[in-house]
Amino acid sequence: MPTNLASPHVARVSGLTRSYGAGASQVTALAGVDLALNRGDFTAIMGPSGSGKSTLMHIMAGLDAATDGRVWLGEYDITNFDDADLTLLRRRRVGFVFQSFNLLPTLDVRGNVLLPFELDGRKPTESERQWIDTLFDSLGLRDRLTHRPHELSGGQQQRVAIARALATRPEVVFADEPTGNLDSRTGREVLRLLADAAATHGQSIAMVTHDPVAASFADRVVFLADGKVVRDEPRRTPEQLSAIMLAMETEAAA
Amino acid sequence: MRATLLVAGLAAAFGTALLQITGVLAAVILNNPVLGDHETTLLMLNITAYVFIVIAVYVSGIVTTNTVATVVAGRRRTIALVRLIGRGAGEERARIAREGLLVGALGAVIGCLVGTGFAALVAWAAVVAGLFPAPGYSYLNAVVLIPLGGVVLTTWIASWAGSRRVLAVRPTEALGNAVELDSEPAGGGTGRLVVAVALVALGAGALAAGIAIGQSIPLGLLAAVAGGLLSFTGLTMEAGRFVPPVLRLVGGLFARTQPGRLAVENTLRHPERSSRMTIGLIIGVTLVTTFAVTMQSFRDFIAVAQRAQPEVYQGTSQVLGSITAIFTVLIGLSALIAAVGLVNSLSLNVLQRTRELGLLRALGTTAAQVRGMILAEAAALTLTALALGVALGFLYGWAGTQAVLGWIKGSPGFLWPGVPWGMLAGQVVAAAVLTLAASVAPSRRATRVSPVAALAVD
Repeated sequence: MPTNLASPHVARVSGLTRSYGAGASQVTALAGVDLALNRGDFTAIMGPSGSGKSTLMHIMAGLDAATDGRVWLGEYDITNFDDADLTLLRRRRVGFVFQSFNLLPTLDVRGNVLLPFELDGRKPTESERQWIDTLFDSLGLRDRLTHRPHELSGGQQQRVAIARALATRPEVVFADEPTGNLDSRTGREVLRLLADAAATHGQSIAMVTHDPVAASFADRVVFLADGKVVRDEPRRTPEQLSAIMLAMETEAAA
Repeated sequence: MRATLLVAGLAAAFGTALLQITGVLAAVILNNPVLGDHETTLLMLNITAYVFIVIAVYVSGIVTTNTVATVVAGRRRTIALVRLIGRGAGEERARIAREGLLVGALGAVIGCLVGTGFAALVAWAAVVAGLFPAPGYSYLNAVVLIPLGGVVLTTWIASWAGSRRVLAVRPTEALGNAVELDSEPAGGGTGRLVVAVALVALGAGALAAGIAIGQSIPLGLLAAVAGGLLSFTGLTMEAGRFVPPVLRLVGGLFARTQPGRLAVENTLRHPERSSRMTIGLIIGVTLVTTFAVTMQSFRDFIAVAQRAQPEVYQGTSQVLGSITAIFTVLIGLSALIAAVGLVNSLSLNVLQRTRELGLLRALGTTAAQVRGMILAEAAALTLTALALGVALGFLYGWAGTQAVLGWIKGSPGFLWPGVPWGMLAGQVVAAAVLTLAASVAPSRRATRVSPVAALAVD
């Protein structure tokens, strides 16, 4: 199994393509993407609808398989991982925050956060327990631990999802439009928490979004269009990001 | 709707076959001048047939109500959308009930034909085997309209009852991603509870009276049967109050693993739904157990009495054996209808949890863990039905025996219920088979859910 142990990159894809269907109805979602995420960075992946940004994230996170190209996560080349290996990889090395439906309705807050450990059939170690306690405090969940998801607001649910994603200290946390369902104030709060996890704890985060305000919290913004990386920018203001997006739209229309 | 069709078909086929066979037997008996006392024999034959038909149709009604309720729960978004566009809630509900009427009618007609065919086959086989002469019986008998009508009516009413929740769907649920409504109240209002408790109390009193009367004269059975029916109806009405606690208790068996704990939580998520899912099976198991315990207790009683007065009880055990076998098959069919309901409900539940299963897979739940979870769900439900049904069956079976046989010659007066080991083992095996059967299709579907499904916004 080829590894890239000493690499500064926490996740990497090279020559990645992904197409669905066959023959005349074939749809190409990714058409040769090369991208490496830096360890400890908060990276935003932007692009219009249909640009392939979600597909890219799914493949990088071990949720979907590549048609061609190679995929690395941490020290593993996961390109040819089978379902069982990918499942363990997701459980132990990856964290997820989705737009909605992040939590299991039958478990309370604590149960949801501890789920990845329990699926592994183990209790958190002493240091992991301390880390989870820290997360409960810093995310303001301390007095909500026995609540079920339906008793929480959208923002609170998203904070529980963040706690769960960070609890196992994964290589990368993948966030798919994490603020898509929140009002702008709550959304900003969630983004600050993600940015803070990267800045203070060195947590690598990759966030898919089409919202320039959300992307402005990231250390780096990668733009996708028609299944290809078209721009790669450092931290930018929402205005600058909007301008880039707008320019991309106009180019596409021309 | 396939399940409703199957359930209606099974109930109708069973009812038709039973009545047609009864008709054939009646023709045979009437043609035979040797057999004395025609009237009583025919009456008993008919009463028995109708009792079993009522039980089967009752179970099919409960199963259909539950199926429709589950389907409605899964279609909430679609229903909300047509409500949003402007269809009335009442209209929507009437549409579902009408669909039920149609499916029930189709199932009943198919079942009727199958049942008649089966009866004709049995009669032909009996004639060929020389058991009795050709009966000269016409299968074009108006009597089949009774199970036919009963099944159609029951399916219609059950669809109406099961679609009650349509009225609670808010049109705005079609917008945004409304969270699934988790809280369905378990059990009905206070009024229903009072009626149920009264029925159970009355039934228990009648059972006790039956036992007391049965010690001296043979009429105790009447009081005991009435008591059994009353108390069981009361229990069925409020199943939502006592099934979930038992389910939780049984669920303790699966609490060692995370998938097991999740499975138990899943079965308790809709207490009303789980109760309905299990109540059909509880009825089936209770009936089979009641019967088996009664027969076993009969044997024990007779054995004791035989020792006291051997000349009175010659050759009784063979007769008891064949009666037990026939009745067990007849009762077992209601249990089969209940089993169809359980399999279907579990499939629908899994279908409705696609996103949740996707989330579990995304978070690192292996396919084997998902399979284990669904197997544990099915097992928790069947075990609960088995435990409750066996407990109730022992109670009723023992009371029935005391009421029937307390007075007979050489009776020991009081005897503990006989334990029908063979029958119990059979039920455990049947429950295990049902658990596996109920979880195969949902498991396959669940493990095919791509984790990407959880991330999709719809």
